[in-house]
Amino acid sequence: MRQPLIACICLVAALLFTVKSRGDDPMVVLIANPSVIQTSLSLETVRAIFAMRQRTLTDGQAVHVFVLPDGDPLHEAFAKRILGVYPHQLRLAWDRAVFSGTGQAPNEVATASAMLKAVASTPGGIGYAYRSELTNQVRVLDIE
Amino acid sequence: MEMPDTFQVHGFMSQALILTDHNDFFGPSSRDTGSLEYTELGLNASFRPRSNVLVAGQVLARQAGDMQQLNEPELDYGVVDYQFFTDSNANAGIQLGRFKNPLGLYNQTRDVAATRPSILLPQSIYFDRTRQPALSADGVMLYSEAFMNNGSVRFQFGMGSPRLDDQSEVSVLGAGTYGDFSGETSYIGQMRYEHGGGEFVLALTYADVNAEFDSRGVRPGSGDFSFQPWILSFQFNLENWSFTTEYAIRNIQTKGFVSPYNYDVTGESWYVQLSRRLGSEWQWLLRYDSLVTDIDDRSGKEFARASGVPAFTRYAKDWTTGLQWQPYGRFMVSTELHHIKGTGWLPYQDRAELMSQEKYWNLLLFQVSYFF
Repeated sequence: MRQPLIACICLVAALLFTVKSRGDDPMVVLIANPSVIQTSLSLETVRAIFAMRQRTLTDGQAVHVFVLPDGDPLHEAFAKRILGVYPHQLRLAWDRAVFSGTGQAPNEVATASAMLKAVASTPGGIGYAYRSELTNQVRVLDIE
Repeated sequence: MEMPDTFQVHGFMSQALILTDHNDFFGPSSRDTGSLEYTELGLNASFRPRSNVLVAGQVLARQAGDMQQLNEPELDYGVVDYQFFTDSNANAGIQLGRFKNPLGLYNQTRDVAATRPSILLPQSIYFDRTRQPALSADGVMLYSEAFMNNGSVRFQFGMGSPRLDDQSEVSVLGAGTYGDFSGETSYIGQMRYEHGGGEFVLALTYADVNAEFDSRGVRPGSGDFSFQPWILSFQFNLENWSFTTEYAIRNIQTKGFVSPYNYDVTGESWYVQLSRRLGSEWQWLLRYDSLVTDIDDRSGKEFARASGVPAFTRYAKDWTTGLQWQPYGRFMVSTELHHIKGTGWLPYQDRAELMSQEKYWNLLLFQVSYFF
């Protein structure tokens, strides 16, 4: 009985020393509709928003999350390198939210250009893009 | 620019085939043709009428053997969720209505195959016998999340009236025909820490579930029932590996009934589980799961001496291995094999069924599921 508990404690201890890159990919950026007044968000706020647990920004504006399909390379890059989570973990978080009544699913769009258009035309829209494909209709948000 | 439409509809359906060499689990599974009496159907809708308000409801139709027939779909949850506070370090909200209990890691979505690592959740903690009172409550739940440097802490506290069914009555009193249970004010609290976006998760849950029983006859008499589990949960996630363990200790008490229907026992449940993703379509699982009904009588021998019921009905040790396959989109096929010693969590309908159980048994399941 004690063995699993000891194993857990060891794992927790080991994890405290692990470091994972996140929030710092030069190629992929967090984007928002120009109606969003914030210029930066904390990593944990961005995680809570993309896990569909937080629905508004600090000024009370409703957030509308846009994502690409699970296997899309841009989605994978954003999930892994910006959020520091795996696409299948995000999918599980959305399923848990949707089927427990604690949140909604994000809006899925098919392509990176559809993403730019959707975020540009939706007040409170939040998504991600390749830095090289940015347009002046969306704003880039820094992650603290 | 126009206001975005937030209305969403989602659902799930799953059908299992269950085969056992001895003992019936969810229908006549020990017959050659097995049992198809494990079906889950759900449909939900949600929308955000205001920026910080979510309205969501789900209907569920479920069959799990004879006791829980596929009846009229029932309201699984129905909430108005008002997230009244958001700042850069925290958020907080309240859910009013019928909310799902955050008991351990899996309870809130225990009927949705997509959110389970296996067809059956570890039965020592998520057993069917007291599923209904553990599942949801009608009342209020407060929640709050505080952000830290590379992690977040979430608190949930709920107060409400649990829901009860015939299976709960059998589990508490040994038969489902003596009278009626009604829920009394119950509480649930969970504290959960998530590090690195879910790289590891640590959670502690406590619940105090209460009900009163109105007896039709002199026996078992009217009385009170309470159920108080503590659950400690831990999960560690790598890209392709997940390690999960939960440990639960739970007290069950009945008071005010005619002897021998009064008891006060503390049970212990725990499991260790390893799952491995194999590419994007396959997942393999290995788990050991242990249940002891009464920690003061781990072998069940004292109970057997006093009641004449076999000792092995008071524990269950379950080795499980399983495979999940998601060939495309949201369609899933899964199978798993259990080798079990004891029948501590096996649902039963009466003493005759309990007396005919076998100590060692094997359980094979197949399931197809679809989600949207």
